[in-house]
Amino acid sequence: MSTYVYGITAGSHPSLPDGIDGVGEPACRVRIIKEGELAAVVSDAPENLRPKRRDLLAHQNVLTETGEGGPVLPMRFGSVSPDDAAVSSVLAERADHFKERLEALAGKVEYNVKATHDEEAVLHRVMSENPEVRALTEANRNAGGGSYDDKLRLGEMVVAAVKNRETEDAAEIQQALEPVAAAVSVGPESTGWLANLSFLVDRESADTFLAAVEEVRKAQPHLDLRVHGPLPPYSFVEPGPAQHAEPAPAHN
Amino acid sequence: MTVVPAQQSGGGGGSSGLYDVLELVLDRGLVIDAFIRVSLVGIEILKIDVRVVIASVDTYLRFAEACNRLDLESGRNSSPGLPDLVGSITESGAKGKSKGALSGAAETISDAFKQSREESQSESRPRTRKTAASRRKEEQE
Repeated sequence: MSTYVYGITAGSHPSLPDGIDGVGEPACRVRIIKEGELAAVVSDAPENLRPKRRDLLAHQNVLTETGEGGPVLPMRFGSVSPDDAAVSSVLAERADHFKERLEALAGKVEYNVKATHDEEAVLHRVMSENPEVRALTEANRNAGGGSYDDKLRLGEMVVAAVKNRETEDAAEIQQALEPVAAAVSVGPESTGWLANLSFLVDRESADTFLAAVEEVRKAQPHLDLRVHGPLPPYSFVEPGPAQHAEPAPAHN
Repeated sequence: MTVVPAQQSGGGGGSSGLYDVLELVLDRGLVIDAFIRVSLVGIEILKIDVRVVIASVDTYLRFAEACNRLDLESGRNSSPGLPDLVGSITESGAKGKSKGALSGAAETISDAFKQSREESQSESRPRTRKTAASRRKEEQE
């Protein structure tokens, strides 16, 4: 029977989520594998596990429960070990690395911020910032909408201006929120959003972080900001990809 | 079906929030080479940067049309995002920019994402373009 791994935490974790529901239908029960000073949160791996919403949520839920009692290193969804013994040997082999990460993430949570433009609002903004766009719009309008080529030219200009705004807005969001976070991790680009930023935030100073988000919302009404957290620190499990924000994280 | 993420949070909410969180569950987190990962066929497309979608003739025409219908005076004098601006633009049947691009990719993604997106579209969430777009659509009809 292969073993599904949710995350890695300290063996001294005060409230390990032993016995709660995990992935699978019916849900597999979560159990704990201890090795040295570390513990892995696992369950049996269901047959034919697929990234269905139910299972993604179960994965997320187990990690959230674990994270409330102490730091946890969340595994990416779908990590399956051949058996329990293989989990134990991974814990033993990389104990120092995992302990260092758990220490670094103690008391910290992830907040993910995704931003999109409110289309009407950003068009107004682009229009007010860009006399050329405004002039061409008025010319087209006076010509009853303008020719196909005129429309194309205007549209191209507007799209370029909106894209510039996207880049500038992404940078501004990051600049505004970096100072109230311990670290930032920039997520992959996609058309789904103009910014996808994860911030590592002290649980204690989450209010400060959320207040800073509100400030951005007020200052930039053409942005639609979606904030999610506190989350397990998915984006900060490895020292590599996460950029450390300035100032350097304070040690508690 | 009422499954909600264990952690809903300040500002976000609704199950479009679920989509945002699932992206992290699937794409971040610790990967250990001694473990295998379940097959995520179709999910990988999330990582593809499909920004080229925006630079199409259709997009240009749609934006030109949107500008043509935009109230220039209110654009210059009032702050963007005011409720009375909603409805000053009508889109000629085109989808909103982000919705078109994102749902285009999401259509090939797993059931999980389809479900969460469908629910997010049926929920009323102010201030999102999606909601604004559907509201405009209703006004046209």
